[in-house]
Amino acid sequence: MGKVIVVTSGKGGVGKTTSTANLGTALALIGKTVAVVDADVGLRNLDVVMGLESRIIYTSMDVIEKQCELQKALVRDRRVEGLMLLAASQKNDKDDIQPEQMKSICQRLTVNYDFVLVDSPAGIERGFQNAAAGAEEAIIVTTPDVSAIRDADRIIGLLQNARVEPINLVLNRFSPDLVKSGNMLDKSDVLDILNIELLGIIPEDEAVIASTNRGIPLVHSTSSSAAQAYMRIARRLSGQQIPIPDLHAKNFFSGIMEWFSRKR
Amino acid sequence: MNFMQLFGRKSKSSTIAKQRLKLVITQDRFDVDEQLVTRLTHDLAEVLAKYFEFSMNSVQMSLKKAQDGNSYILVADFPYKKATKHPSIKG
Ligand SMILES: Nc1ncnc2c1ncn2[C@@H]1O[C@H](COP(=O)(O)OP(=O)(O)OP(=O)(O)O)[C@@H](O)[C@H]1O
Ligand SMILES: [Mg+2]
Repeated sequence: MGKVIVVTSGKGGVGKTTSTANLGTALALIGKTVAVVDADVGLRNLDVVMGLESRIIYTSMDVIEKQCELQKALVRDRRVEGLMLLAASQKNDKDDIQPEQMKSICQRLTVNYDFVLVDSPAGIERGFQNAAAGAEEAIIVTTPDVSAIRDADRIIGLLQNARVEPINLVLNRFSPDLVKSGNMLDKSDVLDILNIELLGIIPEDEAVIASTNRGIPLVHSTSSSAAQAYMRIARRLSGQQIPIPDLHAKNFFSGIMEWFSRKR
Repeated sequence: MNFMQLFGRKSKSSTIAKQRLKLVITQDRFDVDEQLVTRLTHDLAEVLAKYFEFSMNSVQMSLKKAQDGNSYILVADFPYKKATKHPSIKG
């Protein structure tokens, strides 16, 4: 039996979909079977971030309305063994789905998949409740800014009340240079405030945007530091003990090295 | 805002962010109207002022999650300068 993990944040645009796509792909790359589920009904994006948009025929709505078998609605990612996507309906509204229906879909997926990752919409309303309904565990994605952390704290409270456990943190768009200049909260500040376990830190990285443009999840190539960070998180999720390295600010030497190694 | 904040070296924006976050999150966790923390701080200060001298600028209230994750611990920091000369409980 696999486990259901909801990827959520409260605030929008902090990297939930990017994280779901990359963690799903990374888990498959290390040999796990994975189903990623888009729960952002009406504003689906996981399919485009993963580059699978042209192959969506059925959605979770068709499964709920019994138009299609669950297994048939899953789209296979041909680039890696064991990775499937269940898309969200774009025509429907978040209120068209009941939490119980999402829960049932997630539970059925755990029969065949080691990991079921649910990409939650922003907010604390129905869309989030649907996404979290079937989740045993949660990954909170936040960026190191005041409004994202505040919203993350609200979501953590709601998930704790719903007995979701563990709730782990992915700190996204982290910039050691900004921390050094005193303009970004450090890892320890965020953990001190939110008081949950850290799963990993993803640096601010242009490679994220380039990979979204191409529709190829970052982790298919390990050249970027964000891809390496996602691979480490996937290993941690699969139970391996991997240390979380501190990201350091650029110094003169590393700045020069980066300049030389940059693709031109 | 005290003298140092106005004319001294500017605080790092990350330090200010952390202080502000602690306050809003405390208010959020209380799950009641925003003014509660302000009123509570004021009332506590009124009582404590009978015994200690402190500056209202340095007072910090926060709500921390307890280890069990289900309850909260109210932390009130009133850094005091010295005890008030003649503490007396007003009737
Ligand atoms: N580490 C990063 N470095 C640079 N850009 C990033 C990083 N993570 C995310 N982004 C960018 O931030 C934007 C929002 O990301 P994403 O769509 O994953 O967020 P989301 O939380 O799913 O948003 P929504 O709440 O709208 O569903 C995207 O343009 C993405 O490319
Ligand atoms: Mg999204």
